[in-house]
Amino acid sequence: YTDMPEYSQIGKSTYYATTCRECPAGCGIIMRTFEGRAIKAEGNPAHPVNRGKLCSRGLTAVQGLYNPDRYKAPLRRIKRGEAATEALSWDQAIEVVRSALNGNPQRVAFYLGLNHDHLFDFVTELAQTKGMPAPVRFGALGMFEARATLVEATRQVLGKATFPFFDLAGADLVLSFGANFLETWLSPVAYSRAFGDFRRRGQPLKKRGYLVVLEPRLSLTAGSADEWYSIVPGTEGAVAMALGKLLLESGALRMPVAVEAGYRSVNVEAVAQAAGISLEKLQHLAQLIAQAERPLFLPGGGALGHTFGLENALQILALNVAMGRVGQPGGVFLIAGEEKADSFASVQSLIQRMQAGEVDTLFVHGANPLFELPQSLGFEQALSKVKQVISFATFPDETSLFADYIFPDHSPLEGFGYTRILTGTAQFAVSSAQPVVVPLYDTRATVDVLIAASGLPYTDEVDFIQRSLQPVFARSDAPELATFWARFLQQGGYWEETRQTSMAMDASTVPLKVLLPEAVEEKTFHLMVYPTQMGDGSGANRPWLQETPDPMTTVMWNTWVEINPKTAEELGIHNDDIVRLVSSAGQIEAVAYLYPAIRPDTVAIPFGQGHTALGRFAEGRGVNPVVLLQTQTNAAGDLAVGDTRVRIEPTGKRRPLARLESRSGVYGEH
Amino acid sequence: MAEEKQTGRWGMVIDLDVCTGCNACVTACAMENNIPWVGEEDAGYGRGMHWIRVQRYWEGEYPEVSPHYQPVMCQQCGRAPCEPVCPVFATVHSEEQQINLQVYNRCIGTRYCANNCPYIARSFNWFDYSQQIPTPMNYYLNPNVTVRRRGVMEKCTFCVQRIYEGQERAKAEGRVVQDGEIVPACAQACPTDAIIFGDLSDPESRVSKAARNQRRYTLLEELGTEPKVTYLKGEGTYGG
Repeated sequence: YTDMPEYSQIGKSTYYATTCRECPAGCGIIMRTFEGRAIKAEGNPAHPVNRGKLCSRGLTAVQGLYNPDRYKAPLRRIKRGEAATEALSWDQAIEVVRSALNGNPQRVAFYLGLNHDHLFDFVTELAQTKGMPAPVRFGALGMFEARATLVEATRQVLGKATFPFFDLAGADLVLSFGANFLETWLSPVAYSRAFGDFRRRGQPLKKRGYLVVLEPRLSLTAGSADEWYSIVPGTEGAVAMALGKLLLESGALRMPVAVEAGYRSVNVEAVAQAAGISLEKLQHLAQLIAQAERPLFLPGGGALGHTFGLENALQILALNVAMGRVGQPGGVFLIAGEEKADSFASVQSLIQRMQAGEVDTLFVHGANPLFELPQSLGFEQALSKVKQVISFATFPDETSLFADYIFPDHSPLEGFGYTRILTGTAQFAVSSAQPVVVPLYDTRATVDVLIAASGLPYTDEVDFIQRSLQPVFARSDAPELATFWARFLQQGGYWEETRQTSMAMDASTVPLKVLLPEAVEEKTFHLMVYPTQMGDGSGANRPWLQETPDPMTTVMWNTWVEINPKTAEELGIHNDDIVRLVSSAGQIEAVAYLYPAIRPDTVAIPFGQGHTALGRFAEGRGVNPVVLLQTQTNAAGDLAVGDTRVRIEPTGKRRPLARLESRSGVYGEH
Repeated sequence: MAEEKQTGRWGMVIDLDVCTGCNACVTACAMENNIPWVGEEDAGYGRGMHWIRVQRYWEGEYPEVSPHYQPVMCQQCGRAPCEPVCPVFATVHSEEQQINLQVYNRCIGTRYCANNCPYIARSFNWFDYSQQIPTPMNYYLNPNVTVRRRGVMEKCTFCVQRIYEGQERAKAEGRVVQDGEIVPACAQACPTDAIIFGDLSDPESRVSKAARNQRRYTLLEELGTEPKVTYLKGEGTYGG
């Protein structure tokens, strides 16, 4: 062949701008379609969050759309927990929803995920109209990042309850306290893109950005760092305080007034001792900060998901204030949008209501609480007290297996919607979603179902979206709504170029008091559960996400436990041995991976696998570490994920992990 | 002159200082090029079909340990060790594009080429994995790329379908291909823009400029394979 057949395709591709709804970040995608089929997700180059870039999760969105195990029509489950179902028509389905909504409004509850903003707005309006309790909105990513804690800390330090935006690209030194911003934290593609700019030398004299990461286990983000310090989990805030003290002593604080008194009392040696970092290293870090023109301090989920998580967040944010980084290029900004995610505490109160038999109907959309929440919380038992569970899941997951009715929503690529941009940019931005293909099955947009059942005065989902976008339309220069709507869909959203710079800041309220976690007992270990490319676990049904190797271990298709080789040697554990992890909440068995870059007193386990329901690619694969988690919360109501302690027990069994490194021989062990 | 410009020498530069090892390139490549997945067991046996992989090396011991990432795909050698060993000329050099191409319907699966490739860049389709894609997941298969069968060797093509498409488009519009107009799927997805692709025969192209960087090196330079992929060393570890 001189011209191979693949070069002479007849036909033309059509491209649609929409929004990735695999995580709450809201990256813009341009979907390439061909003859009515979605072929390839590509980044939207004009979008302020991702500027044409995408992550593994967004790229495999089509494997969710075309997954053979999707729900294909409305169903009634014969018995909870069992696979048997019977078919229903949409008319019957709407009747079921209508009678549920017409019951006692106080006894109706909505549990929503983080991804569908237009649905959340609709349900909020519905709840207000009918006098129902406000919807609970929660997801695993929010739990591991302790999002509510970050928002509360921002309110206390910067005066507005919203996400801060960290201008990584403009900084010259970044200290990340457990923020895995290259993986899942807040808006990973936006921060990865910014990291590229941060690192690259620019014209005329931009310095190469220098990254320091402080966290107990070397994450992918720490893997790209220039310096990594494996400090004890939970001591992040104390280390920030010690750095503040050293900076105060050397006269390097740029806005010392508010925080000076707090720093004065810090015992740096004691902090160094408790955090497992030498005094020399702390002094070295303080010197780096003092010399940097634009230092930036990131409070990540690893630091916030602790009993002192809120204090940690405040103390890390306070460093930004003390170094004069608020509202400055390369510093911290307030985002333009409003944050509406709930904390773990609101989930707990919903569970209490369910336990007390105060919920007749529970609606679930875009969340999988039976998989995501710590089992010791008792969601499953509480669910059995709910008379009627209605799930809008597009995919058979653990929670929908316990639902009496399943009224499947369209896949995100088949439906309309919008996403408020809250984390990836400080600009005002709303991202648009539109169908890129005709819905494959007999599914229906949840907003349409709720409009039909509730009688709210909207003709359909698009009508609701257009009307709730009125304030955004008012900001634009479009002469009429139709013009705005056409541009909104075509460009992938609406955004403004300017960002807010003026903000109140008040570091004087920051409780600058050193708090140190309890030391682990002999033979117990800190447990770190971290999210991966599987996101909130819903990515496990994408075969190509499963086969994309984990960047650090190169493991595919399974769950592993990371143990420091020295610890493993003491415990007599080898690579591929099955070990049992036991916490006060429960126990699991998983395969050991000797990980050379983790504290000897810490073990880490990735989240996302261990599904009992999620289609053929996910079921019965790996384990779900939430079994181990305790349900302690921090002052902002978020789960103290990082305070779980475990024991490790060998089981004598072995199961080899599928590792890419074995194939290419880069590790030299196999 | 315009004629000559059309026949590019395609090349790539990967800046390891900004590569975070996130594997987005790996997934992007799989989704663009109809690469089938093989499942846990076969992946464990090393039958995974990734055309690009991110190698992770550890350096040092805890706590002074640090990883280095290196995305590796077919290096599109100027003197490719895979080419002379193929008995049926299935792995051939494209005169026009100056890259190495695999002609799938010639390949008889001797796997000599993979044995002779020093970069372990070739993957062999052992069990008709693409036939195992369940309906309707086959809907997303890219019509511009062949779906390969069992017993055929495959590898990175620099997304040759995109190169052709870009050249055809430019030709139809009566102009030359612009720098940056053609991007392979990995470079397009790369969140930090660590992968730069372009025409090495144009000294002013972004890729040519990047390839002249003082941090440059090529993989296994001493073998004389003349790779078209240039790596830029990470600054943190190796010094500027």
